[in-house]
Amino acid sequence: MEVLKINGVEKQFPAGRLPSTVTELLEQLDIKAATVVAEVDGRIIESKKFTGTKLHNGQSVELVRFVGGG
Amino acid sequence: MDKLVIADKEFNSRLLVGTGKFASCEIMAEALEKSGTEIVTVALRRVDIENKNDDMLRSIDIKKYLLLPNTSGARDAEEAVRLSKLARAATGISWVKLEVTPDPYYLLPDPVETLKAAEILVKDGFTVLPYINADPVLAKKLEDVGTATVMPLASPIGSKQGLRAREALEIIIEQANVPVVVDAGLGLPSHAADAMEIGADAVLVNTAIATAAEPNQMAVAFKLAVEAGRKAYKAGAAAAGKRASASSPLTGFLRDTQEEK
Repeated sequence: MEVLKINGVEKQFPAGRLPSTVTELLEQLDIKAATVVAEVDGRIIESKKFTGTKLHNGQSVELVRFVGGG
Repeated sequence: MDKLVIADKEFNSRLLVGTGKFASCEIMAEALEKSGTEIVTVALRRVDIENKNDDMLRSIDIKKYLLLPNTSGARDAEEAVRLSKLARAATGISWVKLEVTPDPYYLLPDPVETLKAAEILVKDGFTVLPYINADPVLAKKLEDVGTATVMPLASPIGSKQGLRAREALEIIIEQANVPVVVDAGLGLPSHAADAMEIGADAVLVNTAIATAAEPNQMAVAFKLAVEAGRKAYKAGAAAAGKRASASSPLTGFLRDTQEEK
């Protein structure tokens, strides 16, 4: 098993099935990339760089977006 | 024209509107439209993996409104800076409403951490609009480190108590060389007009509009109140006094002078 920590929750993937990029992770989670910003191990990744950002076993990914607020 | 100028941008509307607490995206979109606002605040949160339809940005026309992300949820300067950078990556612009509120009960902003974060963000090229307690000394210090505005609260956020901090707000307005945006605690259009009458450059309203029975009508009411308050301020209000002062002439009454003794 391989693992990614996504928004604070560990998600397991069968060996070899770990999403290889941020884009692939978002596709698996069915989240539209356009309005999301990611942080991989504390490094900010803009949406245009999702495809080029490789993911590895054990990394921590934060996916954030805007919500209503004052 | 009497424009609001923040950093390098000009605005016709002096009403900033928050996007929290609306019952639906559609209700929010309509209220924003009716309010005439040009600046809307948003918060940054983790994507709800279980509910992918939580995307509210689809109902905000970002060509029409300047998105002002806040750093709500930040408990110290470090968290606020992190949120600001994430927001910048999302919007592509560097405006941020800086708020650091470690106290969960009154949600009062932390002055020390806010000043610390403001310094870091200004150096990093951000246009910083800090939410602060109505503290004239802090407002000056923030201005000195280069914030684009100061945003003192009128009373605790969401409390709808109006200008509890009136005296301190008046001092901040008197001393400020950057726009003063009165933020938080404005529950009624009259509160917003009140803030504008004492010389605030703008106000920010969220809860009072979002939680009204008819948010779009309340948005109109706030729009008019802000305009009225601004006009009154520009017109120069006459000073209040303790005793009565007759509006009609005190001469030429229909009685003989002898009777007036």
